[in-house]
Order: sequence, then structure tokens, then C-alpha cells
Amino acid sequence: MIDLKILTQAVGDLDEKVILGIINDFVATNPSGEDAQKVVLACQQGMAIVGDLFEKNEYYVGDLIFAGELLSQTIELLKPVLSGEATQKVGSMVIGTVEGDLHDIGKNIFGSMAEAAGFEVYDLGIDVSPRAFVDKIKEVKPDIVGMSGVLTLAIDAMRNTVKALEEAGIREGVKVIIGGNPVNEDACKQIGADAFTTNAAEGLKTCQGWVK
Amino acid sequence: MTDAVAMTNERNQMFRDLFSGKTPKRVPLSNPATQDFAIQYAGLDLAECQWDLTKLEPVYEKFCQDFVTDTYPGGSIRLPSHYQILGSTPIVMSSSGFMQHPEVVGLLAEEYDEFIASPYDCIVEKVLPRLFTELNGAPGKVAMTLAKAMRAQSDDLAYLGTIRAKMNAKYGYATMMGALTEAPFDFMADFLRSFKGISGDVRRYPDKIAAACEAVLPLMIKKGTLPNPAMLGYTFIPLHMAPYLRDKDFATLYWPTFKKLVETMAGMGQNVQLFVEQDWMRYLDYLYELPENTIMRFEYGDPKLVKEKLGKKHIISGFYPITLLQTGTKQQCVDKAKELMDVLAPGGKYWFQADKSVINFEAKGPVADNMRAVLEYVHENGTY
Amino acid sequence: MDSKYYATWEEYLAEHPELEGKPEHAIAPKIQKYEDAVFVFVMDLLL
Ligand code: B12
Repeated sequence: MIDLKILTQAVGDLDEKVILGIINDFVATNPSGEDAQKVVLACQQGMAIVGDLFEKNEYYVGDLIFAGELLSQTIELLKPVLSGEATQKVGSMVIGTVEGDLHDIGKNIFGSMAEAAGFEVYDLGIDVSPRAFVDKIKEVKPDIVGMSGVLTLAIDAMRNTVKALEEAGIREGVKVIIGGNPVNEDACKQIGADAFTTNAAEGLKTCQGWVK
Repeated sequence: MTDAVAMTNERNQMFRDLFSGKTPKRVPLSNPATQDFAIQYAGLDLAECQWDLTKLEPVYEKFCQDFVTDTYPGGSIRLPSHYQILGSTPIVMSSSGFMQHPEVVGLLAEEYDEFIASPYDCIVEKVLPRLFTELNGAPGKVAMTLAKAMRAQSDDLAYLGTIRAKMNAKYGYATMMGALTEAPFDFMADFLRSFKGISGDVRRYPDKIAAACEAVLPLMIKKGTLPNPAMLGYTFIPLHMAPYLRDKDFATLYWPTFKKLVETMAGMGQNVQLFVEQDWMRYLDYLYELPENTIMRFEYGDPKLVKEKLGKKHIISGFYPITLLQTGTKQQCVDKAKELMDVLAPGGKYWFQADKSVINFEAKGPVADNMRAVLEYVHENGTY
Repeated sequence: MDSKYYATWEEYLAEHPELEGKPEHAIAPKIQKYEDAVFVFVMDLLL
């Protein structure tokens, strides 16, 4: 088994070469799904380091974006060996950036972290209408709905989306979490979401709590 | 001489004084709202007015009548007709009529070397066809598209120019020329590599970014050059990416070519106005190094600190938080203007502008009334 | 700026000997004006 500490540190350092080297070597050994989960966990711990450095003003938004990209690349590489674990999905979620908003960096970071944590993630992309959320939720019946948005007008779009879930009679069946810079407690209440966050790691913990 | 001509002369003198470091007669001020706001304020449809520019004259008439300002409060390079003709992907009209910018990648990472070898050739051959669908295809079709688009934009700009001339003649605004350019790093980021793309490139190929910035610098200089440097006016440079970079990436990748750009403009005798977007407080020592009397309009940060560190050498502007216009009472809005003037006006070298543009108007909201009160306050109380 | 798609007046003249001996002071600014107009148009598309 590879040295997970080195991997965690490389993720924290955003050292792409080292990370991809380790992951490729690991996948080549045809590892068990269980070991693969440990590798994912090590990457997540690395993301926590990234988050800390961001809070300490050593990393900036550009670094977060690169970190998100590295994480999704890593998950892609691990998918074949993780697939043995497919039956063990911890839960499922539908995510998307709400109508009128085209920003998706934050949503993508959260999406890859959730995937890494074992969620089945259905990503509807950007500028997602309430109707599109409703249709997908009816189709895949997820545990969780995650809405993202960074424009101030995203708050209205989130409210409309929750309203559409209510009207379609599917609000009760799901937990709703919202994320993105402008969300806060007031907005969360107004919108009728169950939780809000401006931090993907924190949001993931909330989601994990819901599917336990 | 009519009153309006006298007012134009007086205002031109204020800006000449400001730009050359003399204390003007009073604090010059600019209305922070845009054409989008003006159209909604007149109760008209955004999409329709941006297509049918004849609708805009009464829009500007009301806008100019109701809000006092020293500079013409309008103009836009982002009118829909030529973008439509070109099949634009980086600038599209949203369903509500705003011209907006989705993330696009005009240049692939593997094309850096080609770009570095000849940036303008690469823009014409690779970037434009990728970003503008109608510029992709048979040469004949592309040529016809380009001709239509240039003619459309040229007509639109000429029409806006006549409205501007009418308003200047009636309201006596300062008659300033403007040119628009970007810091080389921002140019590489915005439409070429994208926010996401450049963030990865900073880690993966920093040397290529540095070389690309050097290669594109002459284009950015040329783009920012006024028809005649002695004209009253400035080169406008909005700054985007620096706050998202680590200090060391900023120092090696962003700053060197940006500094050369500003120095070259100043060396030609042109004024430069930077729109210092987001929070640049960790870069104040860098900004200090720019040529004397560079105009810096700030979005966020500490006005006191900025006045202290930069205010003797440079011209400071911005900081007025437009969100307050939405949430505050009239008194709070005016108090904020007073607070900023108390900090920034002493000694001159100050131009009243807001932290960002007001693009949205809600008929029931307080923004218009608050904004009017603030502009009037600054106009009446800004005398030195 | 070195490009296939942009020429200074001098570069243009070198390619167009038919203009030799014609009133340069009237022609040069006009040719240059449209050369520059296209440059500005193109660059504005990317700003
Ligand atoms: C990058 C960026 C862009 C890029 C977007 C690239 C992309 N693919 O997303 C580009 C250049 C394309 C862009 C375009 C525009 N932008 Co922009 N953009 C930004 C910028 C610089 C960063 C946003 C960002 O990605 N932050 C980093 C991410 C990681 O943070 P985050 O989204 O909050 O996500 C974190 C958490 O919130 C959480 N999270 C996020 N989503 C979710 C979801 C769930 C379920 C959970 C649990 C957690 C979670 O996880 C993340 C990690 O912790 C901001 C400025 C800023 N400082 O915020 C402006 C900003 C958001 N943009 C702005 C504007 C106005 C625009 C435009 C309208 C400009 C224009 N006129 O065209 C267009 C957008 C058009 C549209 N309709 O959306 C304004 C918004 C103003 C407002 N009050 O509404 C801002 C604030 C800039 C400014 N100061 O004016 N932009």
C-alpha cells in the first residue's frame, strides 16, 4: 500500500506531478476497493489542508480552483478501482447552479468532494431551471438536493426552485442544501432550505450527517 | 457662450487639474449607474432598447436630467447587434436583456507556443473562430460576417456618439476621450484561457504565461493608445485576476508586464485609470511604484490606509459601496459619502466614484432616490 | 507588432507599388485608419 501521508501532503501542496504519480502507481497494482477508499480519504484530508491554507491567506481562489480540478482528475483515475464499491454508495444527490447564474467553480469543488466521499452525484450544470431540478429529482429520487449560486439574484432563483419542489409535491422527500458566497442564515430561511454553507467541506459534513 | 459650454469648460478644467496633480475647484464626481440602469429607470425594455438605439435618446435625457454628474454617464461597447451577427459565445444577451459573459476558453493550453510566436495571428486564426461561431467556416462566409458585424458596430457607436454629443451640449459634461485595454495577464485569463484554465496554468506552465504576457504586451499598449495623448481623457484598465493569485505568482506573472503597460502609457503622456477590482490591500506597495498621478478606482479595502500610502502620489477614487444604496436610508447613504470625502478629499487627488457600477433598477427599491441624494450631496459639498 | 493581419503604412506601401508617386499624405492616413479600426474591433471582441 502507498504512503497515504505523502499523498495527503502532496494534495495540500497542490503538487500535481506527485499526486498523479502516486495515484497511477496505485491503480496499476489492481488494489481492492477498500484500499481505494483509503486513498480517497487521504485526498480529502489533503483538501482540508488546502482549506486551512486558504483561510490563512496563503492560498487564494485560484489555488482553490486548481485544487478542485486536481481532485476531480484523481477521482476519475480511481473510478475503475472504486467501482467494486459501487454498491456501497453512501447516498445520492442532485446538484446544479441555479437559474440565471453561470458560475460553477464552487459547485464543481463541492461535487467532486461529494463524489470522493462516496455519493452518487447527478450534476445538472449551470443556469438550471426549477423545472429541470424537478424533473431530475422525480427521475432519480435523490436523498439530497444541492443548489449553488454566487450572484445576488441566485437567492431568488433558489427560492423559486424550492417553491417548484413544493408544488411538485417532492419537497418532503429530500434534504436541500444551498452553497455559494451570498448565502447566509437569513437567505436560507427565506428560501426554505434545510442547510446553507459557504464552505464545501462543511457542507459535505452536513450531507454525511443526513444519510447516516 | 452658453451656460452648458461654460460648464463643459469648467469641468474640463477640473479634470485637467485633477489629472496633473493640482487641487481642482471641487471634488469631481461620476454617476455610478450604467446604460442598463438608465433603460430600466425610464421604464423601457432592456433588450428592445439595446437593439433599437433610437429608443435611447429619451432614456439618456431623463437619466441626465435626474442625476447630477461631471462626466457623461453612458456608453457601452457591449451592444448586441454585432455579437449576434458574429455568433458570439463569450458575450451573450441573457433572457432579461443583460449582456453577460459566460466562461469560455478561446486558447487551448497546447496553443501557448503558437500564441507566443505571434499573438495577433493566433487570435485571428484560432481564437476568433473558436469563440465566434460565424467566424468559423468558409473564408467567403467569414469575410461577409466580419463586414456585417463591423458595419453594425460602427453604426451603433456612431449613434451613441450623437446622443452623447447632444447630452454634452445640454448638460455641460466634461468632454473626455477614453481607450480601453487590459493587463496582459488579465487578457490571457478572461477570454483566452478562462478563470479556471489560467488557475491551472499558473501551476503547470508559469513560464509560458510569462512569455505570453510579454508577447501580448505590444498589442495591449496599442489597444490602450488614445488618438492623441494630449487629449483630455484616459486609458481605462480594469484589473481582474491579481487578488486570486498568491503573492509570488503575482510578483512574477502579473506585475512585470502590467507595470510596463502603465509606464508606457504614462510615458506617452496619457493618463491611466485603473479599476482596482476586489481587494488589493496586500499589493499597495506595488501600486505605489506606478507613475505619478495614476488614477486608481478601488472596489474594496481601507480608504484611510490607501490615502496614507498612495494619496500623495496617485489619484484615488472608488470605495463608495453601492450595496448601501439598496439597503441604507438616505441619511446613511449621504453620511457614507461624507465619511469618504473627509478621508479622501483633503489635499485634492480625489475623484468621487462608486466601488462598482449600478446595473439594476427596481421601481419599488430605494436605489434611485439614494443615489440622487448622494450625487447631489457630493456636488454641493465637495468644494475645496 | 508583427502579424500577417496587420500592416503599418510602410509595410503596406512596400506591397503596393502601384501607389508609388501618388499623394501619400492623403492615402497613408486613410489606409492606416482602417487597418487600426479592424485591430480595435478585433481586440474589443476579447475584452
Ligand atoms: C470566477 C468568476 C467568474 C467567472 C466564472 C467562471 C466559472 N466557470 O464559474 C466568469 C469570468 C465567467 C464570471 C462571469 C460573471 N460574473 Co463573476 N465572478 C467570479 C469570481 C471572481 C469568483 C467566483 C468563484 O468562483 N469563487 C470561488 C468559489 C470556490 O467560491 P464559492 O462559489 O463561494 O464556492 C465555495 C462555497 O460557497 C461552496 N459551495 C459553492 N456552491 C455550493 C453548493 C453546495 C450544494 C454546497 C454544499 C457548497 C457550495 O463550496 C465552494 C468551496 O468552498 C467572483 C468574485 C468573488 N470574489 O467571488 C465574481 C462575481 C461572482 N461575478 C460577478 C458578476 C457580476 C459576473 C457577471 C454577471 C459579469 C458580466 N457582466 O458578465 C458574469 C456572470 C454571468 C452570470 N449570469 O452568471 C459578481 C457578482 C455580483 C453580484 N452581487 O451578483 C462577482 C461577485 C464579482 C464582483 N465583485 O462584482 N465570473
